[in-house]
Formats: sequence, C-alpha cells, structure tokens
Amino acid sequence: MAMRRAAQQAARFAMLGPHVPHIAPAARSLHASAGSKKIVGVFYKGGEYADRNPNFVGCAEHALGIRGWLESQGHQYIVTDDKDGPNCELEKHIADAHVLITTPFHPAYVTADRIARAKNLELLLTAGIGSDHVDLPAAAAAGLTVAEVTGSNTVSVAEDQLMRVLVLMRNFLPGHHQAIRGEWDVAGVAHRAYDLEGKTVGTVGAGRIGRLLLQRLRPFNCRLLYHDRLRIDPELEAETGAQFEAELDAMLPKCDVVVLNMPLTEKTRGMFDKERIARMKKGVIIVNNARGAIMDTRAVADACATGHIAGYGGDVWHPQPAPKDHPWRYMPNNAMTPHISGTTIDGQLRYAAGVKDMLERYFKGQDFPVQNYIVKEGKLAGQYQ
Amino acid sequence: MAMWRAAARQLVDRALGSRAAHTSAGSKKIVGVFYKGWEYADKNPNFVGCVEGALGIRGWLESQGHQYIVTDDKEGPNCELEKHIEDMHVLITTPFHPAYVTAERIKKAKNLELLLTAGIGSDHIDLPAAAAAGLTVAEVTGSNTVSVAEDELLRILILLRNFLPGYQQVVQGEWNVAGIAHRAYDLEGKTVGTVGAGRIGRLLLQRLKPFNCNLLYHDRLQIDPELEKEIGAKFEEDLDAMLPKCDVIVINTPLTEKTRGMFNKERIAKMKKGVIVVNNARGAIMDTQAVADACSSGHIAGYGGDVWFPQPAPKDHPWRYMPNHAMTPHISGTTIDAQLRYAEGVRDMLDRYFKGEDFPVHNYIVKEGQLASQYQ
Repeated sequence: MAMRRAAQQAARFAMLGPHVPHIAPAARSLHASAGSKKIVGVFYKGGEYADRNPNFVGCAEHALGIRGWLESQGHQYIVTDDKDGPNCELEKHIADAHVLITTPFHPAYVTADRIARAKNLELLLTAGIGSDHVDLPAAAAAGLTVAEVTGSNTVSVAEDQLMRVLVLMRNFLPGHHQAIRGEWDVAGVAHRAYDLEGKTVGTVGAGRIGRLLLQRLRPFNCRLLYHDRLRIDPELEAETGAQFEAELDAMLPKCDVVVLNMPLTEKTRGMFDKERIARMKKGVIIVNNARGAIMDTRAVADACATGHIAGYGGDVWHPQPAPKDHPWRYMPNNAMTPHISGTTIDGQLRYAAGVKDMLERYFKGQDFPVQNYIVKEGKLAGQYQ
Repeated sequence: MAMWRAAARQLVDRALGSRAAHTSAGSKKIVGVFYKGWEYADKNPNFVGCVEGALGIRGWLESQGHQYIVTDDKEGPNCELEKHIEDMHVLITTPFHPAYVTAERIKKAKNLELLLTAGIGSDHIDLPAAAAAGLTVAEVTGSNTVSVAEDELLRILILLRNFLPGYQQVVQGEWNVAGIAHRAYDLEGKTVGTVGAGRIGRLLLQRLKPFNCNLLYHDRLQIDPELEKEIGAKFEEDLDAMLPKCDVIVINTPLTEKTRGMFNKERIAKMKKGVIVVNNARGAIMDTQAVADACSSGHIAGYGGDVWFPQPAPKDHPWRYMPNHAMTPHISGTTIDAQLRYAEGVRDMLDRYFKGEDFPVHNYIVKEGQLASQYQ
C-alpha cells in the first residue's frame, strides 16, 4: 500500500521535473496512515562491546532497544552503521523509508539529494541532540518533520565540558602520560597547572547546556560570564552569579576559559576564526562540545602550536568521524575524544526512550513534545533560523 | 660565638624536653627540599615550588642574614640533604618530593628546631620521634584544599565518563565511539561516598552538589547540621556499611597508623562491583597489590589519584600499568595557585619563628611534644 502511494507520488513528481522541490509542505502529513512503516536507523557499531552491557542501547546491535516493540506492531526496522557513499546500506533504503533515525555520534548526512530521493519519507528523528547533519531547509521545503530528543543529553554534555575544563586547566594529561611511561617529573606538570578557582569562565551560549554548566561551575568560585541572544532569567543569574555579556567580542578577552554552547547554524559556522581566536587572552583554554565546524580547524591548530591557546578540548570535529590526519589529533595540549559526551549509557537510555515516545506518537498521529521539533510544517526552530 | 650559644641552648632545651621554636635571634640555617624545575623553572615566574624557585623567599631570607640551602637531592647517606642535617635549624619539606625525616635523621640533627611542610601532609616525618625530640612540626593548613578537591572531582569524571580511552583513540588516529560509550556514565544520580569529611572532603561535597548525586560521608565526627543540610550529604557512621552503597568512593583521610593499609583486599571486596575509587590522600592507605588486582578483575572499574607509596613511584609500580587508571605523579596540591599559597604560608611561619611568635593554631602538627589530633 505504501509502495503504491509512493509510485503515484513518483509519477506526479516525474511530471514536474527532477529539480522541483517535490512536495507541498502539507502533503507528507505526519498523521498519515496507520499500517506498517519502514523505519531505518543509523547508529555506530557496537562491535565486540555490544555484548558487554545490556544497557548499551545506542549501538547498531542494540538498536535503541526498540526492535521487539516495533516488530511486534508489524513495522519494519532496518538498522545499519553503513551510511556513506552511493553503495552504502543506508542508500538501499532511502527510496522507501518512512522514518529515518539518525544520531550525531555517527551522523548520517541527510542531504537535499537524499531527501529528494526519499519518496516515502515523513519523519526524521535524531537520537540525541543536534540535527545539523540534516539539510534542514531542504527538509522543510520537502514537508518533512524533523525532531530530536531535546534534553536527553544536556546534563551529560555539561558534565563533560566541566571535566575538560579541569583536564586542561590542571594539566592532567602530561601527568598521566608520565605515569604510564614509567616517569616521574612533578615540575613537568606543575609549571603550567592551575586551579579553576578564581578564573574567569565565559560560555558562548547559555541555552539548556550552558545553564547546566553554569550551575555546576558555581561552587568552584570562578567569575562566570555568559553571552547569548537572550538573557537567562534573573533568578538563575542570581543563583549562579553569572554576568550577562551582550557583546561576544568584548567578553572574549576577559576569559581564562571559553566554552562553546551554541548549535551549528549558518550564522555560527566558522565563527571562531583566526581573528576571533586572536581576541582571546594568550593562554586561554577552550572547550567545544558543540560542533567542530563552529571553529576554523586550521586556526585552532595554529593557536595551540603557538600557545595562544593553552589547551583545546572537545568531542566534536568536522567532519565526523574525524579522518586519521585531522590536525586536532596531533596539536599540543589537546583534550579531544571522538564524539561521545552525549552518548553515555545514561544518555543513550534517555534518547532511546525519547525516540520510542516520538515513534509512538507518530503512529498514533499525535504531536511531539513541542521543544523536540526542529522542523515542523515547513518552519525551522528558532535556533536554526 | 653563635656555636657556643647554640650549644648552651641545646643543653637547656634538652633539659626542658623541647627545642623551643621561638628562640634566638641570629642567623639561622634553613634547608629546603623541593622538586627540581629543570627547563620549566624559567618558563613561569610564579613557579615558586621548584628548587630553582625556592618558594620565592631566598631574597627575603638572605637579606635578613639567614642561610638558605635548597636541594632536590634527598635519598641515601651521601645525598645533599645529609650534608646539612647536623647544623640546620629549620627544614622545609614538601609532600610532592618528600624528604623522609626519619628518627635517625632527627637524632643527627642537633640544631634542628622546626620542620615546616610546604603543603599539606606531614606523614613523611616520623612524628612521634619529632615529638619526643621536642621539635615543632607545622604545615600550611588550607593551602591546597581547593586544589585537591577540584582534582578529585576531575578524576571522578575522567573515570566515570571513560575519558581516557577516547583520548587515546584520538592520538592514535582511531575513531570508535562504541569502544568508549559501552562503559561511560554520567555522574548525575550516582552515589558518591567520601571517606573523611575534613577540609578537603567538605570542599569536594560542595563541588559535587550541583551534579545531583546521592552524597554520603563517613568521618569520626558529624559535620555541622547546617552545612550537612546545605550540601545535602548524609552521615554514615559505619564505614563498612557505607562502602557497598557507593558507585564512587573518594579517600579523604590523612595517613596515620590507623589508616595505613586500611583499604585492603577484604575492604575492597565490600565495595560494589564496578566501583570508581579516587585517592588523592596517601598511597599507603591502600594495599597496592589489592588495588591492582581489583582493577584487573574489574571489581574496581576505575582507580585514580596522585599519591603512591613510595614517592617518587618506581618505574615498575603496578599502578602505572593496571587497566582503567587515572594516575599522575603527586601534583594535585602543587598547582601554581597552590604553590603561591604554601610559599606565602611558609614565609609567614618563618617570620613568626624568627620573631618568637606562635603560628596559626591549625598549622601545628607537632607542638610541645604533642601530635595533632588527626595523627593520634
């Protein structure tokens, strides 16, 4: 049934020509048809780790823990980690998938081209937070709904940011290297190790994650600054002691530590370039768990090499997975990891539950929690405009 | 003349049973043992904790006519320290490169009056022998409490969130999210117990509060009820009852005869399987092999800290090579910020010593033959 409808749609589009944005926004209604759906999920492979932990639901093998639930309702659930290139497993299912579940930790790039070919596609769900791997304007034009599990990893990422601030400020990694190499040289660590107390920490962006970070920073007795389009509510400002900085470029030179907490959008792409990095204090520590492409890759590597940046840490890169020769792997004083901060076991359980909840609402023709929408009825959420 | 006076004073002091720390004006011989700064010494003018930086007090001491000998060479009968044992009046040591002040060395140190610890933790000194010899022992209480508390929280996060395998992947050119994510957890909602809720333990609990954990603490004394309420930590009178409840255990007790080796195989077995243990207190509180074995078996999912026994740790110390560790050399209390604080604290106590004044009361570890309560 779904295939016949798809065929009818395909015939209609063929008449319109290949490059016309092919469906009026209302037409791929999210309250369409009961009946069996084809759900495709792209997640990272668990490999030998898949069997070690039954709660490891975020990997392809465990498939968010919803296979039984989906199949018992008669839906088809295809899960893969193979997402890149014209012959990948994902490509085989583009033409007829109704729902595509992706995750920022192994992102399937949902390009305009893929959207154009995805004739049955109605819904894009992000298992996690951050849907910049989806061409959102194309999705909006095609009448798709895009939603993520807002809130599912905010605490995870805030904890992780604070950890990386401390790793870099306290100069932990050189000490650890000494320990595992049989060495002992206190001076090699202590000459550039500092307490976090009393330092000036600025967060660029004070949305959900930024605020949780400010709350966790409070007992460290730092000077807390934040920049955002909007002020946070006065009670939270008073509780955290954080001061609003209307001008980003005025805030940056004041900071010993800068943490990035905004989404990747056309406005923020590459915003931390050579010039903006130069405005920061010499010896600044930067933590970026937001998106790699917010930074100019080369400018960061150069600044770490000169020492203008005393330490750069984060779990996001452009692109992901990061190639073997990505310069951030080898620059001095880095605290990088693959993209993991939001995919702790605790984070996985939350976003798996959130995806399941949205699928259930989708099957029943119900709306999602309002804060989960990234694209709805042709419009992009505020932070992406 | 100075020697005659010194000899007379010693006779009097011995008769009195004390080497009074507020005696005589006149030139003193101050010896300091610190870690060497090497090529790093010149990189940071605030790097006062190394031998070359010498706590930043050389000019101040020498301008008052005192003699100041500083070395990192502290081990064995022919070391630089040994050459000065006999006639030094004051010995400044530091836990980050500890000069072991044994009963034997104390006996040979005929002029010695005062032992100052640049930092916190004076267990590298034979305290009963120091007390019996009438020495004063003092440390810079409070100088590194914040530093150590921050560092403990850092190591908890590193281990719970499984940071190090991710970092290793990066520098080795790899990318395998599953290799990290299958055993990475948030701190939120976990049960964290601190063994000891003195200065550092309390600062740790305060920093843990916004993480929304279940906070427990064990100590001889209960914390003041207002502070307990503010922090949201629950008192656990029985250590062995607290341990099995904890996802994370942090050691915050001094090393004393009571605490030496207290975390042995039996006590570790009482902890939850998969526990995370952080110890920035003293290495000898743990049974070295028991920790290594528990990390190998996975009973301990992660062990981290900056203290070992002995220090410096030998090349083959098992904690360097056990799985899932977050060890470093002894550094948490010797950040630049802490160095500046303990250098100032030592300078202040030397100033008081020269003037015959008492120290801040909480700095005393041994005074007039008595040990401070935490060491009794």
